[in-house]
Amino acid sequence: MSSSDLTSQARTNREFWNRQADEYQAEHGEHIGRPEPRWGLWQIRESELRILGDVGGKDVLEFGCGAAQWSVLLAQQGARMVGIDNSERQLEHARTAMAEAGVEFQLVHASAESLPLPDASFDVVFADHGANRFADPLLWVPEVSRLLRVGGFAAFSGGTPFEWIGWNSETDTWDGGLHRPYFGMHRSETPEGSVEFELPYGAWIRLFRRNSLEVEELREIQAPEDAVTTYRTDEENAWARRWPMEQIWKVRKL
Amino acid sequence: MTLSEHAQTNREIWAENAAEFREPGKRNWAQPDITWGIWHLPESEIGALPVLEGKDVVELGCGTAYISSWLVRRGANVVGVDLSPEQLATARELQAEHRIEFPLIEASAEDVPLPAASFDLVISEYGASIWADPYLWIPEAARLLRPGGELVFLTNGLILELAWSVESERVGETLVYDYFGFHRLEDPKDGAIVFQLPYGEWIRLFRANGLEVEDLIELQPPEGADPGRWDFVSNEWARKWPSEEIWKARKPA
Repeated sequence: MSSSDLTSQARTNREFWNRQADEYQAEHGEHIGRPEPRWGLWQIRESELRILGDVGGKDVLEFGCGAAQWSVLLAQQGARMVGIDNSERQLEHARTAMAEAGVEFQLVHASAESLPLPDASFDVVFADHGANRFADPLLWVPEVSRLLRVGGFAAFSGGTPFEWIGWNSETDTWDGGLHRPYFGMHRSETPEGSVEFELPYGAWIRLFRRNSLEVEELREIQAPEDAVTTYRTDEENAWARRWPMEQIWKVRKL
Repeated sequence: MTLSEHAQTNREIWAENAAEFREPGKRNWAQPDITWGIWHLPESEIGALPVLEGKDVVELGCGTAYISSWLVRRGANVVGVDLSPEQLATARELQAEHRIEFPLIEASAEDVPLPAASFDLVISEYGASIWADPYLWIPEAARLLRPGGELVFLTNGLILELAWSVESERVGETLVYDYFGFHRLEDPKDGAIVFQLPYGEWIRLFRANGLEVEDLIELQPPEGADPGRWDFVSNEWARKWPSEEIWKARKPA
């Protein structure tokens, strides 16, 4: 897809991730490069959360794969993986990781808002703070629904409406105050230069249902007591012990 | 009737509160339109309810039964359930005054003496939806619904509950209570016990009781709307964050 076909956020975020990829992998690569699948800010084991379950023999799409840490591990578990990402530089990191692990699967360079992949071709579409955060849900949820086979599911971790309303833009942190309105929550330009998205709980539910996705679960992740992360400060982890800073939606194609 | 401890407490509190709810009940009974919550948002704009004509409806925690009266006037067969005999006495007076009769049952929504699979709609507005324990009344609602039937209830906005200031008895702009584990809140003044759950916990509870999640409608009042006697929340606050929300769940056909 030529960059002129991209939405403004897809263009901005492509440039952002091409610019940031090396630094991001250097800063977080060790934290998220674990020998088993783990979710999110605090790298909680999939074997504990059991969101994806057994992916052996399934067609699985990682929706915003970055350096494909997840995809490599799931491919080793027997999933037929495809990884998509909007950033060429992130995909170069993914190719390096695949070569090191000795696994092969398809990587697609595209915006999650319009994917060059056939209808009903996946059993599972998932993201761990992936394209779901950086693409517009009003565009990517219909895409995920289109790509899923009937009976397949999507699961994605990301931020939360509480993270949105609780963020103090003046101090760039979370202090327990309500700082941004809930109504109208959708698109936000971050101080780092990316564009991120979040929706009110009800808007997510309506968007899923309009796209033939049944709501199965909303797993709200509480920061562990002994939280270790390269993504958040101790103060932010303390906030996330009390209010949700990360959540995983799971929806199934009807 | 066996009552849970909090139901017993809340029943005693409603014995005292009921007198105060007579006048608002009277006004609501006289109102022609169906509206939701403290901002009186019209159902014609919210669209939370299914077609009512000929439907069997139970209102859990009906109080003075104004919601029931609106639904009866639209052709529904309604049963009102409330655990406060004083509230039900007001409801009976208003039934007589308006010549609109429907059954009223004194019971807790946590243990409803009505047969399973006998209703197309279970509704609650500031009734069971805040005063009863969701872990007890949601299973009851699911039991009472026929396949294809719907549960629709209005409750306090969760953010409003979390930002509640006990001292000022108003909602503030600081989160006071923890989200994780939120369930039961006791009023330090009168001891009233109300309930609310995290969003993900409601979804888990619906699904554990065989209900599909249909909608969550966060209510926003129009600019300038006045909450009247419910001055614990300002229009300015409620324009930014949801002061009330309506959950909809369905029992699969």
